[in-house]
Amino acid sequence: MRATRVALLLLGLAAGGYGGWRLLDLGWANTRATLVWLVGGVVLHDGVFAPVVLVVALLALRVIRSDRLAPAVVALVILVPLTLLAVPELGRFGARADRPTLLDRDYWLGWSVLVTLVVAAVASGTVARRLMTIRGGDDGSRDGGR
Amino acid sequence: MRLPALRDVPRAIPREDDFSSWLRSPAVTARVGLWLGITFGLAFATGLISHWAQTPSPWLAFPTSPSWGYRVTQGTHVIAGTAAVPLLLVKLWTVFPKLLARPPRGVRELTLHGLERVSIAVLVAAAVFQLVTGLANAAQWYPWHFNFRPTHYALGWIAIGALVVHIAVKLPIIRTALTSDVDSTAQDRTGTAAGPGVMSRRGLLRTTWAATGVAVLATAGSTVPWLRHVSVLGVRSGTGPQGLPINHTAAYRGVVAAATAAAYRLTVVNGDRQVRLTLADLRAMDQTTASLPIACVEGWSAGATWTGVPVRHLLDLVGAPAGSEVLVESLQEHGGERVSTLAGNFSGHPHTLLALDLEGEPLSLDHGFPCRLIAPDRPGVLQTKWVGRLEVTA
Repeated sequence: MRATRVALLLLGLAAGGYGGWRLLDLGWANTRATLVWLVGGVVLHDGVFAPVVLVVALLALRVIRSDRLAPAVVALVILVPLTLLAVPELGRFGARADRPTLLDRDYWLGWSVLVTLVVAAVASGTVARRLMTIRGGDDGSRDGGR
Repeated sequence: MRLPALRDVPRAIPREDDFSSWLRSPAVTARVGLWLGITFGLAFATGLISHWAQTPSPWLAFPTSPSWGYRVTQGTHVIAGTAAVPLLLVKLWTVFPKLLARPPRGVRELTLHGLERVSIAVLVAAAVFQLVTGLANAAQWYPWHFNFRPTHYALGWIAIGALVVHIAVKLPIIRTALTSDVDSTAQDRTGTAAGPGVMSRRGLLRTTWAATGVAVLATAGSTVPWLRHVSVLGVRSGTGPQGLPINHTAAYRGVVAAATAAAYRLTVVNGDRQVRLTLADLRAMDQTTASLPIACVEGWSAGATWTGVPVRHLLDLVGAPAGSEVLVESLQEHGGERVSTLAGNFSGHPHTLLALDLEGEPLSLDHGFPCRLIAPDRPGVLQTKWVGRLEVTA
């Protein structure tokens, strides 16, 4: 395993070094603009997104009934990344009047439909599990459920 | 009210041990990380293919077949990047306490800790950068000052390099985690709860796979035709004039007058030999019909039936030898897609056409009237529209 790890380490350093050289080769102005976005991404995740998730989780633990926490987590784990990756579409930032075939859907409508479907699926799944547990079936509790 | 003293601040920041969730375990991290690594590997490999396809004169010729090859690889590129978003967010959540770990004492430990921190900072920065810029580019949103294509390519190497370094560092933990039960506590941090709280580890993993599936289904219709009606967040519905979407219109590129002028001529040049052809001349030549996709670098694609003159027949008019490299120039004066190079294997392919018709009708102005290049297995940005000149360069 030691040899594998050393080989991987060297391979990774070589690939990363090559990327770094390609980046610097694009000129200092380009590199500086890139660094702003590289650092910005980490700051936004570690300094904003992650703490917000922590605060929301702490609030949820106090506010939401304990048997509804797991369904809430399921819905949020599906919907939050989905919403984040749809930001360019929802904001229509790249849309232009003379580019009518790009961003040509009603994204807020589509997003609302997805949110409704996910919430409905999670809710009906939760109810179904509960019914199965009440009837004495063990499917709902065998693996700790959700 | 008294403000906290500055020396109290470090104590107010949560410590690694303050996080007790049963779900923040290497057993979960390694399983999500495995799939995250697969999506990054796919995006990197397909990114290399796309870079190769867009290199004007590569030392190894880009293949002309299968004709749908680039459609599949570039669609995979964007789908893999999209799938990585929920995977990355869940994975970073499972390891968030590590960010707050206090540095160890001892020079050797501190140095190793610092180096690992740097490698992870590079990995997270590059990973977030690639996903954010890639998704914005797919929607043609450019809120930055760097040059997207070469920067995204360079960062692809940095991201994959940092990922491989990360795997090298974590390999023993990864191996133990993946060969043990997901509920194993053998590698959990101190302070981790002894059993499930809000949900089970299997529950979180299933939710993560579901989130990834929903993200893909919601967007992949931009390139997978049968998902078109499902992908409500896809950048394109797949419709447009003559049933095909358009990136840049004739008006946007300022070619309306030149493309519709009665004086339009296609110039074909080979050294001192030159012919100038009217649209009627092109229509009078033998026509070939081929079904070829338009597969954009932004990940969307659509199939269509094109009819036109094989480029090889035009090269014959100026006596160009087999395997000639050809520079294709548009009437447009600006834009990254103004010129493209047809390598020898492309210029000689029987389905490399100067298309005059799309789906049996003359090309619309926005699809490249009077004629556009269409060739198999080629990025859309190189399928030059409003072609005015073909020049043999080698």
